[in-house]
Amino acid sequence: MSTDDSTHTDDPLAALHTDEWEAEMEELLEETDHDTELGIEMAKDAQRLVAGQIDEEEFHAKYHEAVIDEFGVDDRPIDDAIDTVKEAGGDAAAALEAFEDDDGTDRRDAMKKFGVGAAALSLAGWATADAMDDEPQDQAAVAAAQEDDEDDLQWGMVIDLDKCDGCLACVVACEQENGTGDGENWMYVFAYEEEDQDDMNYLVRTCQMCSDAPCEKVCPTTARHTRSSDGLVLTDYDVCIGCRYCQVACPYGVNYFQWGEPETPMDEIDDNHTHDKRGQWVDSRPPRGVMGKCTMCPSRQDGNMGDDMVGTTACEDACSMDAIHFGNMEDPDSDPNQYLEQVREERASANELQDDDADEWADRPDHTASTFRLLEEIGTKPNVVFVGNEPSSDAEQVEGPVSYEDVGQVDNRKEALDDGTFAGGVTE
Amino acid sequence: MSTEASEADILRPIHNTSKRYFMMLAACFVAIGIFGALWTYQLYHGLIVTALSDWGSGGGVTWGLYIGAFIWWVGIAHGGIILSAAVRLLGMERYKPVARLAELLTIAGLSVAGLYIIVHMGRPDRMVTSILLNYHETVHTSPLVWDVTVITLYFVMTATYLGLTLRYDIHRLRDQLPDHFGPLYDVMTLGYSEKEDEVIERMVWWLALGIIILAPLLLHGGVIPWLFALIPTMPGWFGAIQGPQFLTIALTSAISGVILVSYAFRKAYDWDHIIDDDLFRGLLLWLGFFALLFLWLQLQQLISGGFAAPTAQELTFESKMSHPAYIIPMVMVFLTLAYIFAQVLRPSLFSKERAVVAGVVVLIATLVEKVYFVVSGLMYPMFGLYRSVPGDYFPSVIEMSSVLGTIGIVTLFFLLVAKVIPVVELHAIEDHGHGDETEVEA
Ligand code: SF4
Ligand code: SF4
Ligand code: SF4
Repeated sequence: MSTDDSTHTDDPLAALHTDEWEAEMEELLEETDHDTELGIEMAKDAQRLVAGQIDEEEFHAKYHEAVIDEFGVDDRPIDDAIDTVKEAGGDAAAALEAFEDDDGTDRRDAMKKFGVGAAALSLAGWATADAMDDEPQDQAAVAAAQEDDEDDLQWGMVIDLDKCDGCLACVVACEQENGTGDGENWMYVFAYEEEDQDDMNYLVRTCQMCSDAPCEKVCPTTARHTRSSDGLVLTDYDVCIGCRYCQVACPYGVNYFQWGEPETPMDEIDDNHTHDKRGQWVDSRPPRGVMGKCTMCPSRQDGNMGDDMVGTTACEDACSMDAIHFGNMEDPDSDPNQYLEQVREERASANELQDDDADEWADRPDHTASTFRLLEEIGTKPNVVFVGNEPSSDAEQVEGPVSYEDVGQVDNRKEALDDGTFAGGVTE
Repeated sequence: MSTEASEADILRPIHNTSKRYFMMLAACFVAIGIFGALWTYQLYHGLIVTALSDWGSGGGVTWGLYIGAFIWWVGIAHGGIILSAAVRLLGMERYKPVARLAELLTIAGLSVAGLYIIVHMGRPDRMVTSILLNYHETVHTSPLVWDVTVITLYFVMTATYLGLTLRYDIHRLRDQLPDHFGPLYDVMTLGYSEKEDEVIERMVWWLALGIIILAPLLLHGGVIPWLFALIPTMPGWFGAIQGPQFLTIALTSAISGVILVSYAFRKAYDWDHIIDDDLFRGLLLWLGFFALLFLWLQLQQLISGGFAAPTAQELTFESKMSHPAYIIPMVMVFLTLAYIFAQVLRPSLFSKERAVVAGVVVLIATLVEKVYFVVSGLMYPMFGLYRSVPGDYFPSVIEMSSVLGTIGIVTLFFLLVAKVIPVVELHAIEDHGHGDETEVEA
């Protein structure tokens, strides 16, 4: 994208239109699903608008049609945005705050909501305001924006299946942490065999914390939602109506409904382990008639259980094989990402040793560790990455070295539920 | 072909109440009572009293008979209104005597379908607050919210339709109608003048057009199948064929329902000359036509699921080929179709009673097929590594009692409504000489 018309030396905005600025804009706008070029162009002109280089009529005249094309309507958000930026009159914080939700939705979310026009304007207003308030050292704004990006938090896991030994300690730990009942296996470990292969494989299954979660999409009440601050997919136990559509739409079968009265009564559940930092009841086993699933332990992440618990999960703590690595998937320095890197390096170097005649086999790729996300092809964007082999379609679940009964758990929940079925169930 | 029908004929249900009427009434109350008691038990203990469980490691299915019966009733309801709209739109005079019965079936069917949504929920007490307060957000993505929306829309459309057409009749029959419902009739005919007839006629025509256009697009060819067809990870459900497939099922079951209701009224009130044999023959033919489409679309799915399908889809195919809950309904519909063909070739094979049997058979078949459809989708998911997949499910007594209870409610509805309004339109007996219009038979 050209910056030709902003390269005049007397243009105070020229310094703003750096490559970093464009890159950041592009990245942000890409997330809004709208025309990135249009957004950037608008943002630049919006800065000019706020700086008084062009007036509102000009701005509108220039973009009205393009905006109609893109959105079908030239909607209020744009006018609102102009007003907001104007009202803020160069106050960066105020301009931005206007785009933040009461519930503290971050800038990205606000931008997604308002669409490209507002997105462009909010960013422009903020960057420009900064530039005008402070000394022309506007790079600070850009740097701040980048830093803001790095603050992005998406909890997730890297699970090394090659390390798992099927002891089910994580299953037990999760049950104890959350007070889930018989067969309500928020954490579930498959032992399975492949055809023509003797040894046992494991698949350690939590909620995949999908970034594009079908369970959330289909929920008729917004009970199933993604927490904007850290990407956890949670269920608001006070809102859920128990229609079970999330369970139907989840590709991985990780949801467990509270069919009857919970086995663990409320007074046995730690007070710190029910409501998250927003005050919503999302943690521990759900009440009767409400949907539950692995939460990735928000009470820990929010510091309710002490600062040293932040960034940990009960299942991770329980795993003596160090197979589960919980952390921020957006941060390259986080435990899971570091682990992933380490595994890749280890396996690549293991490969190198054998390849001492690398020159002769120059085209041979550097082998790295096999990693996968479950059913990635269906586009749910899971935030759990597995190290090891993905089960094939012939994979068959088998009795593991430690059975669920051995550790006081129930594998097939229906066997427990059938006790409650009126006039008996039919499980063989 | 028929002796002249009179106003007295169509008023007979309102004025005459037989002993059999009271027996039916009692039977309805028993059916509703059984279900009511068991549902109360369910409310008290939670959904654990059903035979449902979690799919996956949970070894069961999370949607079962409640959802199956929900679709079944919605299908009957939607088919009913399509039928009645078609009668008005295409001027199919022969079916006019049963048009209002079909509309009433729609109102009753939609009501019990709505009831099923409530019965199915874990927290029915939150229906209003949780769904309505978040409607503006959820309506964009949740097929369940689309369902609730469209069902409400259809309820309103049908009620309007019924209300408008009733004004004409009630005004003309007013002095022959019982006085104790006077205030109700006054409200229904509020501001009526004969000048409006033409306008109403036109409004009703447009409403009918709206229904005919919307039904396949939005209803049983739309949001109801989308509840399933849009879930890519349940191969038994996913795919574009569910729209047309659901629509054919809706129409077969609705025609069957209309056959049963029509037969009951004819028998109870000696309406041989109003709801004549030809009408049953005609309904049977339509039933045959839609049953043929129904089987044809099933065949499409079997072929594509059995030829070179991906693993999970192949499993659903194998299940269909071996599960009695699939095979038996298919055979039932096929046999009905065979009978309908046979009675066309040899008219002596026709009798109203046989038409009724055909209706009952199709209704049972579609209910079982619907439940199987819901359950099998969940039993053969794409992610099928779980040992307890496929799980097992056989509806509990409580779930089964809901079918009894809802049939009771629908029957009760007819029993009560027949005492208040004429269930056959005046128009149907006014333009007699019916029966030989240019109507296309399947
Ligand atoms: S069960 Fe609860 S969380 Fe799941 S879709 Fe229904 S209302 Fe939403
Ligand atoms: S794994 Fe299932 S429950 Fe978890 S976020 Fe993804 S779709 Fe939702
Ligand atoms: S992350 Fe927390 S809720 Fe999820 S399986 Fe582990 S312990 Fe259970």
